[in-house]
Amino acid sequence: MSDTFFTASPHWGWWIVLYFFVGGIAGTAFLLASLLQLFGRPADRPLARMGHYTAFIGAAVSGLLLTVDLGRPLRFWHMMIESNTGRPMFKSWVPMSVGVWGLLLFALFAFLAALAALSEDRPDVRALQSGPVRALRRPGALAVIAVLGSIFGLFLAGYTGVLLAVTNRPVWADSTLLGLLFLLSSASTGAATLILLAVWRRAGHPSSMHWLGWFDRWVLVLELLVLIAFLVTLGSVARVFLSWWGVLLVLGVIGAGIVVPLLLERGGRLRSVQHLVRSASLVLLGGFLLRVVVLLSSEQIHVLGTGVTGP
Amino acid sequence: MADSDCIVFQGSNMAECHPVAFRWPMKAKVEHGAKLIHVDPRFTRTSAMCDIHAPIRAGSDIAFLGGLINYVINDERWNSDPFFREYLVHYTNAATIIRTDFKGTEELDGVFSGLKAYPGGAPEWPYDGFLGTYQTDSWQYARHGEELGQPRGGEENASPARRGQQVPVRPGEPLIDVIRSLRRPVPLRDESLRHPRCVFQLLKKHFSRYTPDMVEQVTGCPAATFAQVAKTILENSGRDRTTSFAYAVAWTQHTNGPQVIGCCALLQLLLGNMGRPGGGIMALRGHASIQGSTDVPTLYHSIHGYMPAPSGLKGHESLRAYLATEGVATSYWANMPKFLVSYLKSMYGDAATPANDYGYDWHPKISGDHSHMPMFVAMADGRVKGMLCIGQNPATSLNAGLERQGMRQLDWLVVKDNFLIETATFWKRAPEIESGQVKPADIKTEVFFFPSAQVAEIEGSFTNTQRMLQWHFKAAEAPDQCRSDPWFTHQLALRLKRLYADSPLPRDEGFKKLTWDFDPDPGQKISPPGEPDLHKVLREINGYVTGDPGRHLTDFGELKDDGSTTCASWIYCGVYPAPDQNLAARREPDPAGVPGAQLNWGWAWPANRRVMYNRASADLDGRPWSERKKWIWWDGKQWTGYDTPDFSATKAPSAPGDPRGIGLDAFSGRQPFIMIADGTGWLYTTSGLLDGPFPTHYEPAESPVRNALYRQQSSPVLKYWKHHGNPLASVGDPRFPCVITTYRLTEHYLSGAMSRWNPWLAELMPELFIELSPELAAERGIRNTDWVKVTSPRATIRARALVTRRMRPFRLGGTVVHQVGMPWHWGWEGVAVGDVVNTLTALVGDPNVSIHEGKAFVCNVEKA
Amino acid sequence: MPEPMGFYTDTTVCIGCKACEVACKEWNQLPATDGGRHEMSGDSYDNTRRLDGIHWRHVKFVEQFSQDRENGRWLMMSDVCKHCVRAPCLEVCPTGAIIRTEFDTVVIQSDACNGCRMCISACPFGVIDLNPVSDTAQKCTLCYDRLQAGLEPACSKACPTDSIRFGTIRELKTMAEARVRQLHELGESRARLYGADDKFLGGLNSFYLLVDEPEVYGLPRSPKMPTRNLIPASLFSVAGAVVLAMLGAVGLRKQRMDEHAVGRGEDDV
Ligand SMILES: Nc1nc2c(c(=O)[nH]1)N[C@H]1C(S)=C(S)[C@@H](COP(=O)(O)OP(=O)(O)OC[C@H]3O[C@@H](n4cnc5c(=O)[nH]c(N)nc54)[C@H](O)[C@@H]3O)O[C@H]1N2
Ligand SMILES: Nc1nc2c(c(=O)[nH]1)N[C@H]1C(S)=C(S)[C@@H](COP(=O)(O)OP(=O)(O)OC[C@H]3O[C@@H](n4cnc5c(=O)[nH]c(N)nc54)[C@H](O)[C@@H]3O)O[C@H]1N2
Ligand code: SF4
Ligand code: SF4
Ligand code: SF4
Ligand code: SF4
Ligand code: SF4
Ligand SMILES: [Mo]
Repeated sequence: MSDTFFTASPHWGWWIVLYFFVGGIAGTAFLLASLLQLFGRPADRPLARMGHYTAFIGAAVSGLLLTVDLGRPLRFWHMMIESNTGRPMFKSWVPMSVGVWGLLLFALFAFLAALAALSEDRPDVRALQSGPVRALRRPGALAVIAVLGSIFGLFLAGYTGVLLAVTNRPVWADSTLLGLLFLLSSASTGAATLILLAVWRRAGHPSSMHWLGWFDRWVLVLELLVLIAFLVTLGSVARVFLSWWGVLLVLGVIGAGIVVPLLLERGGRLRSVQHLVRSASLVLLGGFLLRVVVLLSSEQIHVLGTGVTGP
Repeated sequence: MADSDCIVFQGSNMAECHPVAFRWPMKAKVEHGAKLIHVDPRFTRTSAMCDIHAPIRAGSDIAFLGGLINYVINDERWNSDPFFREYLVHYTNAATIIRTDFKGTEELDGVFSGLKAYPGGAPEWPYDGFLGTYQTDSWQYARHGEELGQPRGGEENASPARRGQQVPVRPGEPLIDVIRSLRRPVPLRDESLRHPRCVFQLLKKHFSRYTPDMVEQVTGCPAATFAQVAKTILENSGRDRTTSFAYAVAWTQHTNGPQVIGCCALLQLLLGNMGRPGGGIMALRGHASIQGSTDVPTLYHSIHGYMPAPSGLKGHESLRAYLATEGVATSYWANMPKFLVSYLKSMYGDAATPANDYGYDWHPKISGDHSHMPMFVAMADGRVKGMLCIGQNPATSLNAGLERQGMRQLDWLVVKDNFLIETATFWKRAPEIESGQVKPADIKTEVFFFPSAQVAEIEGSFTNTQRMLQWHFKAAEAPDQCRSDPWFTHQLALRLKRLYADSPLPRDEGFKKLTWDFDPDPGQKISPPGEPDLHKVLREINGYVTGDPGRHLTDFGELKDDGSTTCASWIYCGVYPAPDQNLAARREPDPAGVPGAQLNWGWAWPANRRVMYNRASADLDGRPWSERKKWIWWDGKQWTGYDTPDFSATKAPSAPGDPRGIGLDAFSGRQPFIMIADGTGWLYTTSGLLDGPFPTHYEPAESPVRNALYRQQSSPVLKYWKHHGNPLASVGDPRFPCVITTYRLTEHYLSGAMSRWNPWLAELMPELFIELSPELAAERGIRNTDWVKVTSPRATIRARALVTRRMRPFRLGGTVVHQVGMPWHWGWEGVAVGDVVNTLTALVGDPNVSIHEGKAFVCNVEKA
Repeated sequence: MPEPMGFYTDTTVCIGCKACEVACKEWNQLPATDGGRHEMSGDSYDNTRRLDGIHWRHVKFVEQFSQDRENGRWLMMSDVCKHCVRAPCLEVCPTGAIIRTEFDTVVIQSDACNGCRMCISACPFGVIDLNPVSDTAQKCTLCYDRLQAGLEPACSKACPTDSIRFGTIRELKTMAEARVRQLHELGESRARLYGADDKFLGGLNSFYLLVDEPEVYGLPRSPKMPTRNLIPASLFSVAGAVVLAMLGAVGLRKQRMDEHAVGRGEDDV
């Protein structure tokens, strides 16, 4: 039996599931937006701006979710400043410690990017046209923000999986692919989110939409492969999924979240907006379910007495 | 026990019930690889620590021990090793010859000669519960000059009413002469042990039926396991090795409890394990000072120092008649006049004079069995007006339904307890109230609750299982209104004395004359006000020179029978040798590594001896049996060693006994058992036990099977209190196919008041459960943790099922009998609550001490 | 700096009396499950089931009986924080609330902990959990307060059979090895020490004498440091990140090409 079965669950529940989900979207949304900004055409800019808004909102929400999940939320800052010495708190080998700083910096860049976007969107608001803000819109500044922000964005999208891997819990610590898996799923959900927003706000130029769709398809394919690899690397622990969790994984995550969307967009030719919307929503659902399954299936397992109970 | 090479736990679950004392067996196990054996119906936490677990059906111990005896006396090494022979012939009564008219269970199919119907006790107290009774003359020794076979009365230690008249007493006759008049010719002996009527031959015959097969058929213990136990015990007994037994209430709580213990004593004597280090039989006592409560007795039938309580039914009309009845000429008991007179002096002080027999006539006399069970039956019959319930919880005690019915007949009830226990709320929360059978309005009993202080809130002494007194100091003040038990007793006595002060009634004389000065000296502060000075109490028990309380007695050798000494309890004499020397408060361990008996740790009665009858730890000539088992020895001038010698300090091993002498003079230097009438360990008990000279297997009062050994099903002289609230199942009643036993858990204490109220303990064992085997569970479709109904002829209760292979069905000959067990700690008050197991039990008792049979009765188990 | 201190627990003399469990609760004033009013578990005599924020000691019961009862054992073991020499919990605590004391024991400073529960998922033995009163992670402190006052831990002091022995790791190890040798001589070949050497986590400052496989007692065979996964997991992710960025960029480029070729891309959106 895997040694991980003798550990206790940290009760990471819905707040964390949501955080992983939202954080992932925020991070990759920033990446995609930045790509459009750097390599796209003027027609792509509305979508790029929307991506940066999304990233900032997502970052903010992530911070909140992370905090409310703490046993003592008001001590959130203990992760950044050592409470009894006042020295800065940073452990490079602890994903959660690095993650907190990562999230913080990402939020910063997301904020700057969002600010720049806003001042471009709302010429009428004078505060947004002030010197410093306009400075942000200089191509050079934009580029720097885009690049650094994207790096932290990708970090945010992936470290959550690494965090789970750097524990001793069943499923999480039994494979090293969780970070990659979460990263890919973040990318697909990020793209899906942008697609939906674009459709909703009619902000997406066809070509950028096309690109998003194309990107999403490729990511889904990769995600599927990594997910399979992940299950393989779990080895005997995979028996955890001989349960309702397994059903949810196969039908929800793989079926609805990956395979169906791929089929819908078969041949890469988007037949209609409905298709686009439908498949994007499914991808979102799948990405969410992936986190639900990975997190909660493990949460169910405790050592009780001397036996092991759970699925 | 740390010195034992093998320890047999039988009738006790020591690890769970005496966890702290269990460190000694663990020491023996870890330090010199002692073998541990547990003989128990269940596999318990004690079994888990043992090399062998021998499962037996509850109530079959004598069959098991009898089997061991049979095995031993037929063992080749036992018959060839001179050690066993020497010990057997000289230190036991194996060689003594019994009267011709004695008939044993072999002749009479399960009973002994002398059985007759119970004539009945005092008319005003028809609660003795006896079915039959034995006339014990024929059980006696045959003696020189006494024509064998002819009843002559006059017996060893004991006491049938006829004796008083046998030896007529003259008023004013010196008390010692009364004793001297009891001197009997020495018993006939045959040291070759071949005489057909010598104890050893009778014993062989008696136990010849207890073969391994028979053991398996009666107890259900696999023959192989039994053989393994027998082998291990024998291997660890002899000159150089000793085996000890540890029992507690799983031996006593039977209709033949004392016989089980006697049976073990018999075995231990055969194995030469008495009076030697690492040997003996450890009675693991219960409540913290239960030992003390029998030494300075709260028992109705004895007075201080194990003297029988004066009785209206025996020849106790006068002081001399009492001595003639209860006294013996030989053994240390010949000093009984000194013990008794000194006791009476402490009762009545200056009022006790030779002229008035030291106030003997004022002393209360008992009129029958006033023990717990008959008391409550009498209560149920409305014969008892009121009860002071101090430190007991009878609402949960045996046949609790009937006991609560009894309490409902009381006019008044005082409950003095630390908690509002079931006994204090029986009138408003008992099951029969909840179910509406009884309405509080219809209960006339006026209940007073008196909040009690805890032991830690006063100083005082404990007497532990090892007969050791240990003084404890006050740790905290009792909260607000709580008062200690000494306070209560002291204040009650003072008030009652005031109440009777000018009563003209002769029956109140005793109360008026009773000395009672335990008030602290002026200036001495003991809080709260009204507490007695417990040092004064212990000094009174220790004794002093009459008229000079400052001159304490240093040991019971100083006691006199002329009133010049005052001593409440002779066995405690010496614990307080000087006004400033409380030996119970000593705390000096022996230096590490040096062999010793920890003589400076507390103080053990008698005379600070740690191993009783320790003369037996040396051979005939007073040399230690072996270097390894050295304890006390004769150094040429006197007895010395690690322990206080339990023998006349300067009597040489070679010294002959004086056939005319009394007391210890009658004994030679080779008779170790100085409290016993003939100085030997008794394999055969001529008297003192009312239910037979040899232990005999009887089925419990309730059993699903017939007695496989004799026609006699259960003890012919057991006590049963007939009452509509106390029905018994007939043998093999199909409605009650299971054998049930009741017991304790480490996590809880007795009726639970001291544990179920405590969340930390409650969470460890939150609910009442019944332990049963998977086999029985399967038969009844019961799954682990299911709720089940348990039904006995008395009642039905609910409990959770704990299905475990630690329980097993017993195969008895052809039939399979299921054994179940329940811890009995629950009640309706407290944090962890549950049904009262004792509503299942019956009021049946043993003839000697009227102890109940809570350890073996019958029931049925069904899914609730 | 005093010598490393800890526990050696000889499970062969544990009588399952739970005195240690209660002594711990009393000294540390920990509440009882549901105030003591809860359900019987049916798991042998174990009704507290696990170590957590209010159970810093827990006595385990393992019933091993063959169908026919020919051979049967009832194993008991008092479980507690192992005070690992290389402690996973300490390693991952993001607030630095978990410290190593001068006695080489591992202690959670409740006032610094913010309840992130990283340590819970990191402890290989399931020792830690949130304490419902403080909402912070709690576990055995090896009676840091008593040790500082020169007292023996409450649990080992209460243990009637000396199953739990407290002392310097050095003394404890010699004692334990001697006992194992004795048991082997007595024929108990299964006797072994768990955590006495540094095969895992640099050794356990609370180590055990067992008479069966660790799993039987609910102990991991070879507990590991959580950070073992850090490097590989990170590398995979970084690789993934690069791939994603490329994929995105390449996608856009490719689209440009196509559009040049086709002129205006179809526009039926
Ligand atoms: N934790 C704790 N300790 C206690 C107490 C307590 O309530 N809780 N009570 C104290 C008191 S007052 C007393 S008297 C002692 C009692 O101490 P014990 O007598 O040891 O306690 P019990 O559990 O009543 O019974 C012991 C064992 O007897 C077994 N048994 C039942 N019937 C038979 C039988 O017929 N033959 C044999 N050989 N075994 C049988 C039971 O399975 C049980 O395991 O404990 C004292 N210590
Ligand atoms: N079926 C079954 N029945 C049994 C037994 C069994 O094995 N099976 N065992 C029997 C045995 S051995 C015994 S000893 C009895 C015990 O039976 P009980 O003595 O009736 O039960 P306890 O719970 O010991 O009651 C003692 C009470 O004293 C209170 N108390 C504690 N300290 C003090 C104090 O200092 N002063 C006062 N005034 N009160 C105090 C406690 O709160 C408790 O309520 O049960 C007997 N009943
Ligand atoms: S409860 Fe008290 S008397 Fe009983 S074993 Fe523990 S310490 Fe001894
Ligand atoms: S056992 Fe768990 S809690 Fe204790 S030190 Fe090791 S990792 Fe930390
Ligand atoms: S819960 Fe507290 S102790 Fe545990 S890792 Fe988080 S901050 Fe550290
Ligand atoms: S060492 Fe102290 S804190 Fe740790 S288990 Fe023992 S008593 Fe509890
Ligand atoms: S106190 Fe000692 S014997 Fe009792 S359960 Fe704890 S470790 Fe075992
Ligand atoms: Mo008792």
